[in-house]
Amino acid sequence: MFRPFEKISRTTVLIMVSIQVIVLLSIWQSFPAGLIPSPLRIGEALGGLLASSLLWDNVLVSLLLTLKALFFSVVITLLFSYLSVVPFFRPFAQFIVKCRYLTLTGLIFIFTLLTRDGSQLKLSLLVFGIVPFFTTSFMSVIVHTNAQEFELCQTLGYGRWQSLYEVIIVGKADQVFEIVRQNFAIAWMMITMVEGLSMSEGGVGTLLIKYNKYNDLVHVMALQAVIFGLGLFFDHLLGRLRHWLFPYVKL
Amino acid sequence: MTIYSKGETLLQVKDLSLIYDNKCILRDINFSIEDIIRPGIQQGQVVSLIGRSGIGKTQLFRTLSGLQKPDRGQILVRESRPWSLRPVHAGDMGVIFQNYYQFGWRTVEQSLMLAAHQNKGLMGREAEAILEYAAQFDLSDVLKRYPRQLSGGQQQRVSIIQQLLKGSDFLLLDEPFSGLDVCVLDKVVNLLLKVSLSHEFKTLIIVSHDIVTTVAISDTVFILGKQDGVEGSTIVRSIDLMERGLAWQPNVQEEKAFGETIREIKACL
Ligand SMILES: Nc1ncnc2c1ncn2[C@@H]1O[C@H](COP(=O)(O)OP(=O)(O)OP(=O)(O)O)[C@@H](O)[C@H]1O
Ligand SMILES: [Mg+2]
Repeated sequence: MFRPFEKISRTTVLIMVSIQVIVLLSIWQSFPAGLIPSPLRIGEALGGLLASSLLWDNVLVSLLLTLKALFFSVVITLLFSYLSVVPFFRPFAQFIVKCRYLTLTGLIFIFTLLTRDGSQLKLSLLVFGIVPFFTTSFMSVIVHTNAQEFELCQTLGYGRWQSLYEVIIVGKADQVFEIVRQNFAIAWMMITMVEGLSMSEGGVGTLLIKYNKYNDLVHVMALQAVIFGLGLFFDHLLGRLRHWLFPYVKL
Repeated sequence: MTIYSKGETLLQVKDLSLIYDNKCILRDINFSIEDIIRPGIQQGQVVSLIGRSGIGKTQLFRTLSGLQKPDRGQILVRESRPWSLRPVHAGDMGVIFQNYYQFGWRTVEQSLMLAAHQNKGLMGREAEAILEYAAQFDLSDVLKRYPRQLSGGQQQRVSIIQQLLKGSDFLLLDEPFSGLDVCVLDKVVNLLLKVSLSHEFKTLIIVSHDIVTTVAISDTVFILGKQDGVEGSTIVRSIDLMERGLAWQPNVQEEKAFGETIREIKACL
């Protein structure tokens, strides 16, 4: 357990991690009650939250928005990334990649002018925030394509477009899922931010802001736990989906 | 002695040179492969390319197949209609690479199907042809598997069948005999022979370290080597095995002249 590269069984991992978590939580619990609420109180609040429809309504709003944003982001990313192998279109993709360095905060006003209502504003901000990260990851996948993949296409007598279809579109389809999984965190992180901009539709972000306003730190932490858990759940779900759709990735 | 004559040129390499980072790898390579005509028999031929490790065999393959542009010189292949010699394009030749790369996202069956679809002669019979080859090559059980689930030898056979299904006249094989057990080796050798006999213009070019096995099925041997004092490899010797009566004989390995030829080739390396 304490040697590098040692392989340990699943049950051992489970037991080990459980003990580590319990130890950490007990240390936290034993801290003198001060500003930071204790795990037990957060747990209580979490229980209350989970039983309330308030939480689930807001989670649903956030999830729908995230999924919508992810869908549009993937479509835009794929379009520009696939086209990036055509020299004429490469600069567009490269520019999108560089857009990672634009902060969203400075663009909120422009987006407000450009969009009709709050939900559109949130969606477009999210998509604008996510696409550069997706494109960066996917472009790197494309750039690192094994030259042999193209050579096999050539020896099979494929044309350029046919090679693009086989190697990039079919061959890298599993990577699209991996990228969505890896970058889901970014979308999930931004959702709480953009929801603060237009509170009328609700969402976990609005809920978080409300609790913060009333200094209800216990509930803030409980909500954080929910957000964290949901993130992990989707991470796992996307991983599963990828293995199911592309059985060859786990070989 | 068998009667034969040489006909039209199938492949011509003129003054080919290949340079990497100012280092000459291949220099002034000239050779041509002509159709071999035997009265009353339709058959292709086998050419072997022999040389030490690192001499540039794989690089020569890559240039021959059109995957790599030579720095100088030309590679011309036969165009049937209208009859002419034209520069080679990638895709004209079937190439079986040294490491048998296959698409990781395609099952064996799918990979073979991709190749079969490229062959107009197989139109409508692709699936049948795949099953037939798979049975011949001991691959029927692995058709549904992905390349990563195959042994090295199985991957190699998949690569060979794939290019056979594609059906180009030229088939370049880089080390087709390495890593095969004796049983499968015989099978592969026989299959290659069968392929070479299947059509008048079928031409197999084989690179191998297994000199005996390769020469036994060859009609012509080219030896790639270095000449004293100059950089870059070139064809230092070509041996016409037909002239020596060492072609088209199933038991050629038992002939005395065969042993002598092998010694002669080894001396050139
Ligand atoms: N991309 C490259 N850049 C520079 N030099 C290269 C490159 N690829 C190959 N070479 C050099 O070209 C020479 C010929 O290599 P090649 O792979 O053709 O050898 P080979 O005859 O096929 O050897 P083997 O029998 O071991 O496969 C080697 O000296 C190698 O170092
Ligand atoms: Mg080689």
